[in-house]
Amino acid sequence: MNPRRKKRMMTVLAVVFGLGTAVALVLYALEGNINLFYTPTELVEGKGPEKQKPFVGQKLRIGGMVVPGSVQRDQDSLHVEFKLMDTGPTVKIIYQGILPDLFREGQGIVAQGKLIAPNTIEAFEVLAKHDEKYMPPEVAEAVKGIKHEKPVYNTVKGDS
Amino acid sequence: MSSDNKKSKLVFAVPLIIFLLLCVFLFKGLFSNPRELQTGRLGQAVPAFTLPDLMVDDKLWSDKDLAGKVYLINVWGTWCTTCLVELPYLTKLRERGVNIIGLYLEQGYDPDFDGEFNIQALRDEVSQMLARTGNPYQYNIFDLNRSLAFDLGVSGAPETFLVDSKGVILLHHTGDLNERIWRAKFASKFTELKEVKL
Amino acid sequence: MIPELGYISLTIALGLSILLCIYPLWGAYTNNLRLMRAAPALALGQCVFVFLSYAALVYASLTDDFTLVYVASNSSSSLPWYYKITSTWGGHEGAMLLWVVMQAGWTALVSISSKSLPWPLRARVLGVLGFLGVGFMVYTLLMSSPFESLLPYYPVEGHDLNPLLQDPGMIIHPPLLYMGYVGLSVTFSFAIAALLTGKLDNTWAKWSRPWTIAAWLFLTLGIALGSWWAYSELGWGGWWFWDPVENASLMPWLIATALLHSLAVTEKRGVFKSWTVLLAIAGFSFSLLGTFIVRSGVLVSVHAFTTDPGRGMFILGFLAIVVGGSLALYAMRASKVNSAGRYRLFSREVALWCNNILLCVATLIVMLGTLLPLVHKELGMGSISIGEPFFNEMFSYLLVPFAFILGIAPLLRWKQNKFNALQSKLALVAIISIVITGAWLYSSYDFVAPITFMAVLLAVWVFVSTLFDIVEKTTKQTSITLGLKQLTNSYWAMVSGHIGFACVVMSVALTSAYSVERDVRMHPGEQVQLNGYEYHFDGIKEIIGANYTGHAAVVSVHSEGEKVAELHAEKRRYNVGMQFMTEAAIDASLARDLYVALGEQLNDGAWALRIYHKPYIRWMWLGGLIMAFAGLLILLDKRYRGTSSAEQRQSGKIKTVPSAEVQL
Repeated sequence: MNPRRKKRMMTVLAVVFGLGTAVALVLYALEGNINLFYTPTELVEGKGPEKQKPFVGQKLRIGGMVVPGSVQRDQDSLHVEFKLMDTGPTVKIIYQGILPDLFREGQGIVAQGKLIAPNTIEAFEVLAKHDEKYMPPEVAEAVKGIKHEKPVYNTVKGDS
Repeated sequence: MSSDNKKSKLVFAVPLIIFLLLCVFLFKGLFSNPRELQTGRLGQAVPAFTLPDLMVDDKLWSDKDLAGKVYLINVWGTWCTTCLVELPYLTKLRERGVNIIGLYLEQGYDPDFDGEFNIQALRDEVSQMLARTGNPYQYNIFDLNRSLAFDLGVSGAPETFLVDSKGVILLHHTGDLNERIWRAKFASKFTELKEVKL
Repeated sequence: MIPELGYISLTIALGLSILLCIYPLWGAYTNNLRLMRAAPALALGQCVFVFLSYAALVYASLTDDFTLVYVASNSSSSLPWYYKITSTWGGHEGAMLLWVVMQAGWTALVSISSKSLPWPLRARVLGVLGFLGVGFMVYTLLMSSPFESLLPYYPVEGHDLNPLLQDPGMIIHPPLLYMGYVGLSVTFSFAIAALLTGKLDNTWAKWSRPWTIAAWLFLTLGIALGSWWAYSELGWGGWWFWDPVENASLMPWLIATALLHSLAVTEKRGVFKSWTVLLAIAGFSFSLLGTFIVRSGVLVSVHAFTTDPGRGMFILGFLAIVVGGSLALYAMRASKVNSAGRYRLFSREVALWCNNILLCVATLIVMLGTLLPLVHKELGMGSISIGEPFFNEMFSYLLVPFAFILGIAPLLRWKQNKFNALQSKLALVAIISIVITGAWLYSSYDFVAPITFMAVLLAVWVFVSTLFDIVEKTTKQTSITLGLKQLTNSYWAMVSGHIGFACVVMSVALTSAYSVERDVRMHPGEQVQLNGYEYHFDGIKEIIGANYTGHAAVVSVHSEGEKVAELHAEKRRYNVGMQFMTEAAIDASLARDLYVALGEQLNDGAWALRIYHKPYIRWMWLGGLIMAFAGLLILLDKRYRGTSSAEQRQSGKIKTVPSAEVQL
């Protein structure tokens, strides 16, 4: 091998090595950070044709409606628990912190967090953007056709 | 740097190829708009509800009042500029003999913040608006807490549902209704239903 | 009447830009000088009519002309006058018109300052710009006209401007970004024109550089401002969310940064030509892609009801024609370009090449993270979102080699360097950096994570090596003042750009590591301790603004018995749109920000409050400004002010050879 060839060879090797490392790093980082979106029903009964269920410890996003009457606040801290549902079973969300401005019972929200028990999620982010102008696409998709126990409204005056 | 011309030519085409692949996905993504996905309520009955009338005190409407007719449920509000554009067209539809029931969607009412809801102010506003655009509605259901809207999968206004005489939802359109959309989406189904009924 | 005039002038402008697209390009093709000469006049005419059209929209907004759908949906009579003006770009239609205005403005500017260009090139550049103008104008007129009327039924009151956009930062943020996006179209046009003429030489790089720098300058400012806006306005204390809208602006910036450096190499050394052209095409392509992502609703489905997929289709079609066409042209022509010039492993060329590679990898990562959810969904694998940690992790990996090389590059020379000569210098710089970083971090903080140490070290490394280089350059001369005089503007621009970057890295590292964030539940009268500051919740007061009502939490902050600040964290409710807004209260200083945001009221009279202590966060935006200053330094260079010709602009922005070598 003449020196020029050798040099070229080295360059190619370096490029291949660099590319390989880069791709591996990207894939590795991606693996831990792809958050699949579930609805409460999918979470409990499985998602897709294979009925794939998330494992405990998995990071995920969940979108559904806050079950009216299910919001429980701790008296001394900002710890809050509520139930989320779409068309089937409910899922419990645990959250520590300030809820968004538009968080209401009966509203669609998206929570991002970790599954800590088969139907309990510890959320680190709760988003509620269900106003008329904007809704996270997943929620728009998920809440279509939600069947829920309706809160009882007696009069035109709202309750809460 | 380049010795083999053919090979290098291929290299220079790589960006083009990647871009074209990307375009395919962007194109597909364009049509998988979530609001075009017809999930959920289609083919199912209108959910049960009992809600007050927008304009008349103590008058309640329920899903049972709707049975036996083909009609449109139009979700709207005075705050919604697109509805304003849509209303004259809906009025025209009513003149053509289409039954339209309004589902009034209150936008920002929040009991924590606003206290008691001022229904009279809203009624005045509605009357004024409909006086200008024409009133396409047989009557308006007032969904202050958006419960029916939620059941229907409404995510904004205007939205329109086509419901047959058995109370089954056949179409769900988000965005304004106009002649083009009526012809493309609603007209054929609507006349079909009318004929079945006749 | 006025809105109709606006529509008509936009139509006239479209007519002119169609001519601008056809005449010069045809003239250049047939070598007809008369046709080519028509270009500058057409460019100016188009610009005038577009501005008239925009003036009409501003007038309509100022006079509360709610007969326009656009004004009715984006403004209201109670809006202060300055927000009435900014509401003209607060919505989709107006924003597109603003884009057209910028496009026309840049085109006019190019036509004025390109007098010294040879006609075939000048005509082609303007022709390509005209073509882009046609695309955007047709889109605005057919798909998203802000002049659409609501007559005969119009509302008495408008729907108000989105309260999120009612903020001074938001007034200039979009125009700055658009200036950047559209500015890249000039570089793009130069690249296409050069590919068409077949003359890809150093002069092409020379002409392109000032335009690229100007666009980059605006992008830098726009992004920095956007980040600052998100921080102060969204109430979460975050400064970067990696959401598609932000990524859409970051990708062109990364490419533009790569392009700046690559242009320097092409101009000075005549190498990397085909690569530079590709970057020039890519820069604008990413601008367009970003527009598509943001405007078509492919990724963020902003539920706006009058939009139909037609808009997305149009932009995608335009994107396919412009990007596809130019990449096809590139594929055909670029292989004929020869890059002469040789260089060794330890040379500035290679360092800049690495910089380019790293910046492009960064761009690809952002693109991957942004578009993967779309691809994933289209392959039927379900909706996903890519978590922020993915981006953070990848950018941390990239930062290490990037900052390392950034520190070395200014010390390297073109063509080749003996490694041995550098060895001792680098070792010295490295030791100084480690000592400074160690002393600083371990004296101020109890715990220093390796990643924080690394990031701060890299920032210090860039800083020290830049200083080192300045010292070395100046002490070579007989006196220091003489030495300083020898350094050119372009050298100072490089210094400023690199120092700015180091500031950003330092700030990001320290803020991420040492921010203390606490959400607390407080009754009025209670207080809480955070990082040596006492936050006393004095109470809640009602507030009434011009077009909103709400309440504010009054929080007084004490440190060592002295009152530092009184913060009013507001929660606003806008009257017309009935939307909530959290207005955080911030006490800013160079060393730390005290940040208080008001959450919801809890059942027993307590309130949720969000209290943050964010060290050195100001340096992030300051760093952005310092970086942008680099661009300004070059654009304001005496050498360019005196001369009107772009051809004589032979500045070097970042990483150019100082002093004697620059003045060719």
